Amino acid sequence: MQTPLALLQPAHGAARRPGFIGWLLIAPLIAWLVAFVVIPALILLVYSFCQRDELGELVFSFSLENYWRVFGYVHDESGAFAWDPTYLQIFGRSLGCAGLTTILCVLIGYPVAWTLGRAPDSRRNLLLTLVMIPFWTSFLIRTYAWIIILSENGLLNGLLQYSRLISEPFPMLYTPGAVIVGLVYSYLPFMILPIYGSVEKLDNSIVEAALDLGAGPLQAFLNVILPLTRPGVLAGILLVFIPAMGMFAISDLMGGKRVPLIGNVIQDQFSGQARDWPFGSALGMSVVVLFSIAFWLGTRRQPES
Amino acid sequence: MVELRNVTKKFGNFHAIRGVDLNVRAGEFLTLLGPSGCGKTTLLRMISGFDAPTEGSVWLGGEDVTHLPPYRRNVNQVFQSYALFPHLTVEENIGFGLRMQKLPRLEIAGRVQSAIALVSLQGLEARKPGQLSGGQRQRVALARALICQPKVLLLDEPLSALDAKLRHQMQGELKRLQKMLGITFVFVTHDQEEALTMSDRIAVVNQGRIEQLGDSAAIYHAPQTAFVANFIGRANILEANAVGVEGGFIRLRIASGVEVLVPNPNPSPTTSRLVVSIRPEKIHLQSQRPTQENVFEAVVEEELFKGPTHQLEIKTASGLSLSVMAASQSIMQTAFHKGDRVWCAVHPNDIVILRAD
Amino acid sequence: MKTTRHTFLLTLAIAVLALPAMAAPKKKVLNLFCWSEYVPDSVIKGFTKETGIKVNVENYASNEEMLSKLLVAGSKYDLIQPSEYTIEALAKANKLETLDLSRIPNFKNIGAPFKSLPHDPDNKFSVPWMTGSVGIVINTRKVKDEIKGYADVFSGKYKNRIVVLDDNREMVSWALATLGLGVNDITSENLAKVKPILQGWIPQIKVYNSDSPKTPLANGDVDLGIVWSGEAAILIKEHGEKFKYVLPENAHMFIDSLAIPKGAPNADAAHQFIDYILRPEVSKIISENFPYTNPNMEARKLLPEAQLKNTASYPAGDPKLDTFKDIGKVTKEIDKLVTDLKNK
Repeated sequence: MQTPLALLQPAHGAARRPGFIGWLLIAPLIAWLVAFVVIPALILLVYSFCQRDELGELVFSFSLENYWRVFGYVHDESGAFAWDPTYLQIFGRSLGCAGLTTILCVLIGYPVAWTLGRAPDSRRNLLLTLVMIPFWTSFLIRTYAWIIILSENGLLNGLLQYSRLISEPFPMLYTPGAVIVGLVYSYLPFMILPIYGSVEKLDNSIVEAALDLGAGPLQAFLNVILPLTRPGVLAGILLVFIPAMGMFAISDLMGGKRVPLIGNVIQDQFSGQARDWPFGSALGMSVVVLFSIAFWLGTRRQPES
Repeated sequence: MVELRNVTKKFGNFHAIRGVDLNVRAGEFLTLLGPSGCGKTTLLRMISGFDAPTEGSVWLGGEDVTHLPPYRRNVNQVFQSYALFPHLTVEENIGFGLRMQKLPRLEIAGRVQSAIALVSLQGLEARKPGQLSGGQRQRVALARALICQPKVLLLDEPLSALDAKLRHQMQGELKRLQKMLGITFVFVTHDQEEALTMSDRIAVVNQGRIEQLGDSAAIYHAPQTAFVANFIGRANILEANAVGVEGGFIRLRIASGVEVLVPNPNPSPTTSRLVVSIRPEKIHLQSQRPTQENVFEAVVEEELFKGPTHQLEIKTASGLSLSVMAASQSIMQTAFHKGDRVWCAVHPNDIVILRAD
Repeated sequence: MKTTRHTFLLTLAIAVLALPAMAAPKKKVLNLFCWSEYVPDSVIKGFTKETGIKVNVENYASNEEMLSKLLVAGSKYDLIQPSEYTIEALAKANKLETLDLSRIPNFKNIGAPFKSLPHDPDNKFSVPWMTGSVGIVINTRKVKDEIKGYADVFSGKYKNRIVVLDDNREMVSWALATLGLGVNDITSENLAKVKPILQGWIPQIKVYNSDSPKTPLANGDVDLGIVWSGEAAILIKEHGEKFKYVLPENAHMFIDSLAIPKGAPNADAAHQFIDYILRPEVSKIISENFPYTNPNMEARKLLPEAQLKNTASYPAGDPKLDTFKDIGKVTKEIDKLVTDLKNK
């Protein structure tokens, strides 16, 4: 079975060492990665072992204090270690929130991607454009649009009251549900597009073969269509889950910032009130490391095709 | 076994099938033969259930299945591209249909083993389709369809992706399997030779209609339309005037100096302007005027050597051009060359009056 | 926005580099780092028009964000807009330039109550921009009870109908106020007393918002708020009687000021800008756009009656309010306390 990474790599046969021209061609990519991924990551790594002074300036030192705090060990007044799982709980809640978002994106995105992938060529481009149109406006504007729709004096409540389905406005904004709606809305295209890629490649006669051999629509889906579009689904899950985990603007604006998520906490350390860059770096590094481990575990088990 | 009753299929404004009636007999090997785009695959897809007829009905073993989805019809198909499941092994591909029927695992294993033996794929059970050759994939597709014991097996140009030699081998094997299993085969091809070799009956499809349905010999020797005559083998299609009736024969004038007798068909033609077909190999060339009827004189204009046969283009004094095919030179046969004067003889039964369209 | 600005700067840089041959005088600039929605565009345009100094504006949403960019990221600015406790902290750490008041003659326009305050007793480092209070805004259509203080807001009756500033220190100061303690009495013992109070409050809060707490109030998603007075003033200005502003007992005020960070490359331009905005007619424009309490007494004379009557901007009797002092390390303790409580 293909790993999601295989989508990004050339076919096995083409996986040769690049020649001089090859290096020249990928040099911009490498430079980009070094400048915008490797170096910032290293800076974060260094910061994460530092401390802050009273004013919030960085004090270079080497201390594991920040990491102890992330994983729930803090010094109490007497200097002894005490168990305080605050940040682990926040991390767990963020996982749950990102997980739910991902599941909903799969459930909504798959049928959409299927319809797109099976639509006649003439209509397909139009439908794809419709999926991508939201990207043409700024993320914040789209989020504010949701605020206008969901607030108690907003469009949706107005519509429901006008149609006499409800008599009093129903609180929708600033609820956990609103956060999930916002997250699903923002990340749905990232689920649809990779699944669409897989669906489009799926030979229609293979689906027909399954039906022909007595598989009903559900059986054909589970036994043939799903396994063959799995790389797209996995890529979509990665593309949705990871950013959903770090997202803070939506939980701020649509959730009322009531329940902190890991993204809020990290953001708070860098530009918010807490202003503790070293601790924020330690939180960020921990998230990166946990993701890397999860990714490695997730892809390692799949046997080579 | 399979019956199409007055079936019409439209895609938008396009008439893919126009009022077709077809009755496939139990246990026969019936071929739908026609050029690409003629509607033969659409006919097949209406039997399998992937396309629904716009009008008319589809019957299977005496049951109206017009509105049954493919997975409720006891027919199976071998697809042109084989459509093997790339993520499943040979064994899993072949057992797929039985798993969908939720049969006991042991029974599935046993039947998969015998299906694998049937198509000689032993040793390849654990391979994925990507690791098989074209011929092997073909066999997997066949075994996968046959294991469900369908009433009818539909084959959509299953051999078109194979090279010529493998194709001949598979033609024989398919025929052998069909005889052995006694399953009704409906076979789609555009290859007339394949159709003639394998079929019990052939339905020649053209522009959404069945032009002629009959056994191989009838289709070849007695084509009813110019299309059939031309599509299967080669033919000289000639316009002629009926100039008289002589006993059981009609006298036809094809060109000045070329008058032939043909058996008067029943019912007799209603007009005097007719179209006839003469196969090139049924025109016999001799250097001396033969004594029989239906002879005329001509000159060899072109000659083409084709190995076992010799193809000549001849022309009569009145300007009528004809293709003639003769066996290659042998002791028994005089060879003619460009510029030779020849006498041509055609047996009255070898001239076929075509249906006017 | 940022990209456009960078592209523009880049173009400017190239233009400047290409010009020296023509010996053109170097164009003067001012790098202003200020709150979002606090400095009207017309004021900046007016300044540039008059002085020829180009103003590069960068925005922040909290004192803390400003400090982060100024101190940790090491960006260069000529003029910043900190609040009083931030001025105190920056001055303590020797991060501010001393102002030359002789070059800011309009400083005389600032009213006496806004001069020589504890965070800058000698007026060495800062000049007030706008001041305001933190108080309670009430949707009078929905809330019929009399609300006098924080305890009334959190009586339990308005669960899930409350917006508060997303500011941990503010929340702690409100709890201190209900205990009759001063806003700066932040010790570990007092924090322990504050904890159960906040524990009771936090589950009642629906929205935390510092940037625009008026939005959920205006949209009807909440009925009560503890917000900046300027936000309340805008609500009252736009919706009239529907909203009311209440200054609770032991309320405090904030003083947003202008200050020049240490090592500012264009301190001259910064002085010019400070003096410019202290002109009554310029200060009036700021008040019209952002109806906080204007400390510029000459400018107040130019304001329309309606604005002066807006109690959110100009509370009756000009009560004397406390201001936040720098609390240094305790910030971390407050942060921990509130994060923990929100997480429960």
